[in-house]
Amino acid sequence: MATPSTFRQYKTLLVKDVRQEFRTKEMLTSMGIYALLVLIVYGAALAQTSNQLDILQMSGGLLWALIVFTSLLGLNRSFFAEKEQGCIEGILLAPLDRSVLFLAKATSNLLFLIIIEVIAVPLFWFFFLTTTTPAETFPLMVVPLIVGTIGVAGVGTLLSTITMNTRGKDVMLAVLFIPLIFPLLYACVSATTAVLVGGDTALNTFMLSLVLAAGYDIIMVLLSWVLYDFVISA
Amino acid sequence: MPDTKRQPKQRSLPEAGQMADRVAPFALIVGIVLTTVGFFLAFFYAAPVNGAEVYARDAAGNILRDSAGNALPALEEIGGQLVSNVLLISQKIFYFHMPVALVSFLALAVAAFYCVRFLMTKQQRYDTCARISMEIALVFVICTMITGEMWTRFEWGVWWTWEPRLTTYLILMLVVIAYFVLRNALDDPERCATYAAVVGIIAFVDVPICFMITRLVPSSVHPVVLREGGMSADMGITLVLVLIGMLCVAFALYRMRFRQVRMQERVEALKAALDEE
Repeated sequence: MATPSTFRQYKTLLVKDVRQEFRTKEMLTSMGIYALLVLIVYGAALAQTSNQLDILQMSGGLLWALIVFTSLLGLNRSFFAEKEQGCIEGILLAPLDRSVLFLAKATSNLLFLIIIEVIAVPLFWFFFLTTTTPAETFPLMVVPLIVGTIGVAGVGTLLSTITMNTRGKDVMLAVLFIPLIFPLLYACVSATTAVLVGGDTALNTFMLSLVLAAGYDIIMVLLSWVLYDFVISA
Repeated sequence: MPDTKRQPKQRSLPEAGQMADRVAPFALIVGIVLTTVGFFLAFFYAAPVNGAEVYARDAAGNILRDSAGNALPALEEIGGQLVSNVLLISQKIFYFHMPVALVSFLALAVAAFYCVRFLMTKQQRYDTCARISMEIALVFVICTMITGEMWTRFEWGVWWTWEPRLTTYLILMLVVIAYFVLRNALDDPERCATYAAVVGIIAFVDVPICFMITRLVPSSVHPVVLREGGMSADMGITLVLVLIGMLCVAFALYRMRFRQVRMQERVEALKAALDEE
């Protein structure tokens, strides 16, 4: 029997993840509800300031804080089923290249994060940005969102595989994930804020931050991809 | 470094005590002497630096003076904070701050190298090397943070500012700490070593970022000293002496700790061998 092509292996694994998620909706519901709860906490945190403070200046940072915490929760869950039901052993028994496994898992994580962002970003807008007028360049904020989410999914997949086997894995993922993602977070916040606030130098800042974020993405995702083999086999 | 070509099947004991271990005590003494000499040179030989003093200016940009002709100090905004800054003796911290920071980068590079070697060979020896380099890196990272905090406080008037290099260095420290937290959270030694090696390699990505960030994003707090020729010869000599001293200290600490840990591993291996017989 001929071995299936790498792309077919990838597709099978991806479809498995997506189908499992849409049947149980475990990751999506928990992330969605968590995102809503973070927004409500923001509401309390900012309730006293919104009259005097220009919320636009803070909006990029608040939005990214929401995304980071929500993705942290989702990534923690991404290997839950594999670990609990012994699915990972079955996958590892199959004669496939381990990097395909990384790509499939990272893609499914990316997909779920994007679905959550499609819900959470308009909600954020609805709650906090309807009282102000963002600059006309605001549709560009989609670009840092995509670049940032790719990095979060790539690094997050590697780290959640590592923390899957550790004691106190929820805390462990946060301890590893937040410092490692920091440069990306910083660049994405700066890009998002630049297009929301606008101004003369906004596009320059936007481009510089995006180049930094994209460079970080490329290095980190490639590195995670290379190192994944060692992690999943250990 | 002598490679023992240890095969996993043919049981050989963890070894230590090569030539490098005999050099280590002398390196420690040389390091201490050089650092002490550097300490005195910093105060008695290197010229005091008249740094970024802030004076009150009138609308035309002329410095305002009092009746005795002295310039009036004023406040300036640096990193979002108002500071009144007349450079004091605190500049002397620089002769320790920069060498310690460079040594911490070097220790992280060594750790990343051993992490790669471990993943290539899966030999316990390289894991031990990587872990101890990380320990040395942590010691020097904390020293850099302490000297850096004194520097920002007494020179720039603030305890902390989210300036690019401070920020990247802080996350570097957090990643090094996370490396040890991760090691503690794993029971299986082989899995622990592999995961730690992976995190050690990823952590190293931040080192070039931290090193290059002042060249990419100009900052008021960390000048690019070397390329812009911001140092006179006497300052350079002092700096190099302390740098060599710190390198010797780091090397000696590394070898001594390595010897201790390897001896411990040897005892464990001997016990295991005795149990089998």
